[in-house]
Amino acid sequence: MTLSADLADLGLVAARTLLASPIDVVFKLAPGDRPLVGVGESVVAGARIAERLRDPTLTELNLGDDALHLPGERVAAGELLFEWRGRWRIAGGQVHEPLETPVAGIVRDVRPGSAITLSAEGQAMRGVTVMGGPARGRLALASARDGELRTTGLDVGSAGTILVVGSRVDAETLTRARAMGVRGIIVSGLASKERRDFAASEKRQRAALHRLAPFAVLVLDGAVRRPLSGPVMAVLAALVGHDVAIVDDPPALVVDAPDALPRPAPDHVRIRGGELAGSEGRFERLLGPRRFAGGVQHEGALVRLADGTLVAVPLGDLERYV
Amino acid sequence: MTAEPRAFLTIDHGAATTAIACIGHVAGAWRLLGNLAIPAVADVERAIELLQGRIAAGDPRIAAATGISAATGVVAADVLPRVEARSRRPGRLAIVAGSDRSLAALTACAARSGWHISGASVQSTDPLAMTRLLADRSVDAILAGADDPPGADERGALRELAALVAAAAARVPTVPVILAGAMSEGLSAFGDMNGRPGEVLLGPSARADDGWPLVQLLIGAALAPDDGRRAVAAATQSLADVLDRRVETVVLGHDAAVRVMAGPAGAAGSDDGPWTAIVPTAAVAPDEPDDSVVDGVGVWMTIAADRHRIRDRMRELRIAPWSDAAGDGAALRMAAARAALSRLDVATAAIGAVVPPDLVITASGAWTGVPAPAVALAVVDVVRRPGASQIAMDHARLLGPLGAIGDAAERRAVLADLAEDLLVPLGTVVTPAGLRAGRSAGTLRVHGPSGDGSLDLIPGGLELVDLPPGESATAEFKFRDTVRLGARGRHFAIDVTGGLGGLLVDLRDVPLRLPERADRRRDLLAAWQGALWAGGDVG
Repeated sequence: MTLSADLADLGLVAARTLLASPIDVVFKLAPGDRPLVGVGESVVAGARIAERLRDPTLTELNLGDDALHLPGERVAAGELLFEWRGRWRIAGGQVHEPLETPVAGIVRDVRPGSAITLSAEGQAMRGVTVMGGPARGRLALASARDGELRTTGLDVGSAGTILVVGSRVDAETLTRARAMGVRGIIVSGLASKERRDFAASEKRQRAALHRLAPFAVLVLDGAVRRPLSGPVMAVLAALVGHDVAIVDDPPALVVDAPDALPRPAPDHVRIRGGELAGSEGRFERLLGPRRFAGGVQHEGALVRLADGTLVAVPLGDLERYV
Repeated sequence: MTAEPRAFLTIDHGAATTAIACIGHVAGAWRLLGNLAIPAVADVERAIELLQGRIAAGDPRIAAATGISAATGVVAADVLPRVEARSRRPGRLAIVAGSDRSLAALTACAARSGWHISGASVQSTDPLAMTRLLADRSVDAILAGADDPPGADERGALRELAALVAAAAARVPTVPVILAGAMSEGLSAFGDMNGRPGEVLLGPSARADDGWPLVQLLIGAALAPDDGRRAVAAATQSLADVLDRRVETVVLGHDAAVRVMAGPAGAAGSDDGPWTAIVPTAAVAPDEPDDSVVDGVGVWMTIAADRHRIRDRMRELRIAPWSDAAGDGAALRMAAARAALSRLDVATAAIGAVVPPDLVITASGAWTGVPAPAVALAVVDVVRRPGASQIAMDHARLLGPLGAIGDAAERRAVLADLAEDLLVPLGTVVTPAGLRAGRSAGTLRVHGPSGDGSLDLIPGGLELVDLPPGESATAEFKFRDTVRLGARGRHFAIDVTGGLGGLLVDLRDVPLRLPERADRRRDLLAAWQGALWAGGDVG
């Protein structure tokens, strides 16, 4: 193909990595949680890697002087915290919840009471935040890239899937999706109000005694309504029917697809902010300093939109995928 | 290529934008030849090529003389030497103390030391929660402290706290630990530290000398010497020495704000170096825009937006700070910058309370593209103190990179040459306090090289007197009643210098009082700003 742009100037456009690898996934632990894996172990998706302690309590125990004990060590009563005046403070409890990894990989680091780090197989599509999670499911498209999902758009056939819902979703739909067995949602933007409402719902659910099924919401772009980018949507469309995972540290979709995934043209750019936010086109050239709306002066760039229109855009409003 | 470079690049790698400047040796002095700001995630090498190309196109003779271009054209981006500063994301400091009182003192120090903080005290937190706090993988350093000597409320808890901290630190051996005040007596709890990769440091109490020694220690632990925020302090001190004036620098960053006050060498109080505060909670776009941040931004908004909308926009600003900088995005940035400055002013009240500086310098990626006079207004809207100060902007963001020059003499020499180029004069601001409401508070006569002018002083207003950059004048104030303007009095004659905003006579309240009603407040702010920012009335 021929490129319409000076590729060198494209370097000035903010670059986002479409799919990154390798990726280290971190699972946080708290004192009292029991890691079930060791460094160097290979784990498959769905494997139990730790037991999380619900409602940990603090107890004291005299372990005697027969053996040397260290912080983080486990005894029957729980996990040793620290020794004070001959007695060990211990984090213990009765109820444990399993922590399953949604991705396969090799355990790189285990720090009791702190974290397990897993070098994951596959590639990661980074987002900006994850609520809930981690989770694993079959990828399905629920709407177009500029669409949105409402409660009426959900049905039981979506149970076990991770749904791509386009530009936005509300808290009520998220709550209903979780109740119907959906494993995850991928969305471009999640407004602060919806985020707060859903977080409150999550908190109430977690306070309940029964264990929650894994459910994660991956926000790819931000907080305002904006269509999913074309290159991202192309990758997601190619992954429909595949098992994928959402992890929260880092916030990302992890895919392990055997086939090559579609890549955008090098000069494909997306307008991230401003009046044309969400539009996509081809980078034509750099314009130099320009005066834009609001009486501000910024470096400008010329972009040819999909309908052939040429528009001048602040350079900072553009992004490209590499 | 000659041994002595005739040009070099300064690069300030900010969290949101990267500022690149080219400095050349012209007519016996270092001069700023050109500068450029690009999104932080863009390709710096390409931006350098672009900048060099523009300089060569603008003045081929200077480009050739300084080695920016050769016979074959503009030299490659990697030819010119570089002086760089890099602002890294603030780390998280977990603070534990023997009492709530000590925790508050430690937190007050740490909050202005370039750290995000989370804290707990033995008085109000159980050992399990404390261990969880210290072992959290997001923690980059641990500060455990107590008064020196310890207070009665914490004396009994310190040994147990030391045992807890040592055990938690053993889980995260790479994390440095600072034992402050009487907590240093707990060092023995750490046992043999030879095999521990993270340092264990002993520090002063948070109450010693108002906490400044501990602040300095914490800044040193938080930021590398080439960190732009830390380097600004060294550059401000050098500039104060070179200009022989009291200089205050205010930098509003994406991750943290910086405030430095420095006096010339030999001046009273300058022996301990500049007062420096680095405040992550005063970042332009904090990680989590909570209600206080959103409300703070809302106060300064010149366009209508509800709290949800402001919060969404603040999140977007956090995620992609280089984006949405035109249209109503520019108005949001200015509101966010003013709100950040307001948080910085509160967090560094001790710096703000000292003698007003002769020169206030401001720098921020948030000011990029905004008319310079509007920047001056933003500063005086928030940092309000009676007196007269000159305001200037580090438009090319040179202070960070030049402050990273390790040799103080070399740094001073470069800054002596560059002072005029790096500081864009925004103007002189005169702010009298104690004006009585009424039709007229007095008169102002300006005696300058382009003639004399007079002005009636109307309380509550903002008067602008045209005084171009480089021009000096004498402003003679005659007030009807006694006011505070440095000293108390009714008649004042002040030497003022011009700038892009001219002479600003700020007759508004100190501190500024704004209408409670949002629409009236917006109109008032827009009216003040409109006089200095053509086209800024979006929305």
